[in-house]
Amino acid sequence: MLTYAARRLIDLLVILFGVSVLVFLMIRLIPGDAVQILLGANTEVTPAQIAQLRHTLGLDQPVFVQYGMWLSGILRGNLGQSVWTGASIGQEIMARLPVTLELTVVPLLLASALAIPLGILTASWHNSSVERILRFLTIAGITTPAFWLGTLFIYVAFLIAPRWATIGYVPFSADPLGHVSRMVLPVIALALPLLAGLIRILRSSLLEVLGQDFIRTARSKGLSERRVLYGHALRNALVPLLTVLGIQAGYLFGGAIVVEQVFAIPGFGRLIVGAINERNYALVQGSILVVTAGFVLINFLVDLLYAAVDPRVEYG
Amino acid sequence: MKSHLGILIMSVALMGTAAAQQVERGGTLQLAVDQSPVGLDPHVATAFSTFVVTGQIYEGLLDVDANLKIRPLLASKYTRSDDGLTYTFTLRPGIKFHNGDPLTAGDVVYSMNRVKDPKIASPLASRLSAVTSVKASGPLQVTFVLSKPFAPFLSEVATIAIVDQKYVEGGGNLQRAAIGTGPFVFKQWIPDTALVLAKNPSYWAKGQPYLDGLKFNIVPDASTRQIGLQGGTYQFLPNIDASVAATLKTAPGVQLLRSQDLAYSLLGMNVSRKPFDDPRVREALNYAINRPEIVQGVYFGDAVPGGPIPPALKAYATPVNNFPCYSYNPAKAKDLLRQAGYPNGVDFSILTFSTIKTVSDAAQVLQAELAPAGFRAKIDIQEFGNFVQNWRNSNFDAFVSLNGGSVDPDGQLYRTVVSGGSTNVFKYKDPAVDALLEQGRSTTSNGSRVRTYAQLERTLACRGPAAFLAYGALYSAARTEVRGFTPNPTRSLAALKTTWINR
Repeated sequence: MLTYAARRLIDLLVILFGVSVLVFLMIRLIPGDAVQILLGANTEVTPAQIAQLRHTLGLDQPVFVQYGMWLSGILRGNLGQSVWTGASIGQEIMARLPVTLELTVVPLLLASALAIPLGILTASWHNSSVERILRFLTIAGITTPAFWLGTLFIYVAFLIAPRWATIGYVPFSADPLGHVSRMVLPVIALALPLLAGLIRILRSSLLEVLGQDFIRTARSKGLSERRVLYGHALRNALVPLLTVLGIQAGYLFGGAIVVEQVFAIPGFGRLIVGAINERNYALVQGSILVVTAGFVLINFLVDLLYAAVDPRVEYG
Repeated sequence: MKSHLGILIMSVALMGTAAAQQVERGGTLQLAVDQSPVGLDPHVATAFSTFVVTGQIYEGLLDVDANLKIRPLLASKYTRSDDGLTYTFTLRPGIKFHNGDPLTAGDVVYSMNRVKDPKIASPLASRLSAVTSVKASGPLQVTFVLSKPFAPFLSEVATIAIVDQKYVEGGGNLQRAAIGTGPFVFKQWIPDTALVLAKNPSYWAKGQPYLDGLKFNIVPDASTRQIGLQGGTYQFLPNIDASVAATLKTAPGVQLLRSQDLAYSLLGMNVSRKPFDDPRVREALNYAINRPEIVQGVYFGDAVPGGPIPPALKAYATPVNNFPCYSYNPAKAKDLLRQAGYPNGVDFSILTFSTIKTVSDAAQVLQAELAPAGFRAKIDIQEFGNFVQNWRNSNFDAFVSLNGGSVDPDGQLYRTVVSGGSTNVFKYKDPAVDALLEQGRSTTSNGSRVRTYAQLERTLACRGPAAFLAYGALYSAARTEVRGFTPNPTRSLAALKTTWINR
């Protein structure tokens, strides 16, 4: 188990290095740089001044020199500074990460908690009319993007209760009630499509497991239907659910980015989108590196969880 | 008796209106803007998202009012020498920066030199290009010496922010925190969330501002801003798109504040490329544009077709019916194209971007309008950063964009069309135009300036490198309880210092 974990850790570092090179090159392949964006169109600036600004920002250095400086900074634990404001990128990311994590983890927990009972329900009411209605709802849920639900929620909220509808963000520490009230709609908007997907997966994997030989054996031993379902079937049906959860966590992160835009929540997504628009290279690179690290870590954890849930998974 | 009663009723009515007009103090105005500022240094970050905020914190020597008149601000008066080479400004006494430092002539000198300093690389530096020296000629007196008479000097220097020399030299980072003399004090910047300003309790204009503070909420999604205003979460949306204004027109509890915009939409042409190297093709293009249709289709009827100088600059703008090419005439356009050697019409591509709806809409309407005259346009919509790069490098056949206007015809035209000008992306070169532009900026006689710019307009309107489309109305949307705000064609929100909330 330990060597397995160590080997996965080395994989993780190699992936991060590859990503750092790719991100570095990709953002520089996009035309336009920070100076162009800052000055925009129609400013009264001379080419000499543009050159001076570029020099101040170190953008006139060869790309590999810029990369070397960035990498050596990271190895010393310094992600660099924001181009214009001089703010520390590490600090900026740490300020934003909790917001987006909340928008990822809360919907994830909420959806998984609801998916298990609802999945069992749809599986055990197989071919009933209740199941048909649930199936319709889940398909609708899967096909509806979170940002569209978000916009819909805002409209409806202002239509029904304009005095209570809120947009924006306040930190939990500053105003707990205000924080929760502002997070409810985005969390639901993100959880619903995920929930629908999880129900579908659990239903089909439960149905598949319930048709297998060992279930027949268990039934023939005279076990109650409850014990068959919870003791034997569910445990086996959870493995595909876990895989999907791992992948969905990534999608959820992406969904959170768009939902942040709709609800004006200052999360990681807004940070990255803004940084790309401003060609704030160091900020884009640092953020994407952190996101990648997050993804690889989640995958790593999912792999470890497999082993815990299903003893047939071996440490390869 | 009857007349007495009449007077009584009348005076009660008058008292009523007087009471209704009574300014109420206090409250924080909730604004919603689309973008975070890119930094707060008023000499470096000149993007609009920064300007709306720093304009509340900093002030210049002079100000441009809603009628585009230049009036005193930090300087109570100025004098100009007879040869037009020396300007002397007298500062108001007793003005303090937000940290308590008194405003002195030294701060003005420092601010001007900071803008001129190549190391700062201020985009505003060219505004001071004619200035050879700035000196304090007294504790509250500053003298500017120019190398040659420069007519637009006052409008160029007017709004350059005066910063606190002691604060900046003491290590204050102007990009992160701001210390000015303005009506509002910088309080907090929560990145991508909000910028909070508080009332300056010792503002030099007695009794102002009326509000306790301003909160610029950063809300990137346009429909969220709009719903937020209708629901009352936000009270003020500055400078909105024509299409948003159209949908908010009938919204209950919402008022639209209107002004004429200095910014103009244009179709720019690259005169170093075929087919636009031929003035006849440029003239043909002008004939092929149906401007009233653009006013309807893009600006929802609320715009005016205009020439090279904004109609808001009443003293200089020539009425458009003086330009024959501004009347839609596809037959004439075809004829001109044939004369230029393109009997089968021309193919070209229009570079544009999508972040301003007016711009992408205009490109599409133009594409349809130009076709019957033989101009077959392909629209190339690019991400804004990409657009700016291609625009700056003149990497286009033609482009459609929205240009910011100026309060002086020199600012409007000089750098845009002079040979080698900093925003002459058209690569336009005409010695006669260059001579007129020099004449326009060096003469200080009003009559002769008006004649010079009238001639420039005639030269540029039909065969110039830009087809001017329209000057739109400039709207801000506010809750009906917001009072006292006068929109400014320059898009400045300076009037927020006399804005109040009626509770």
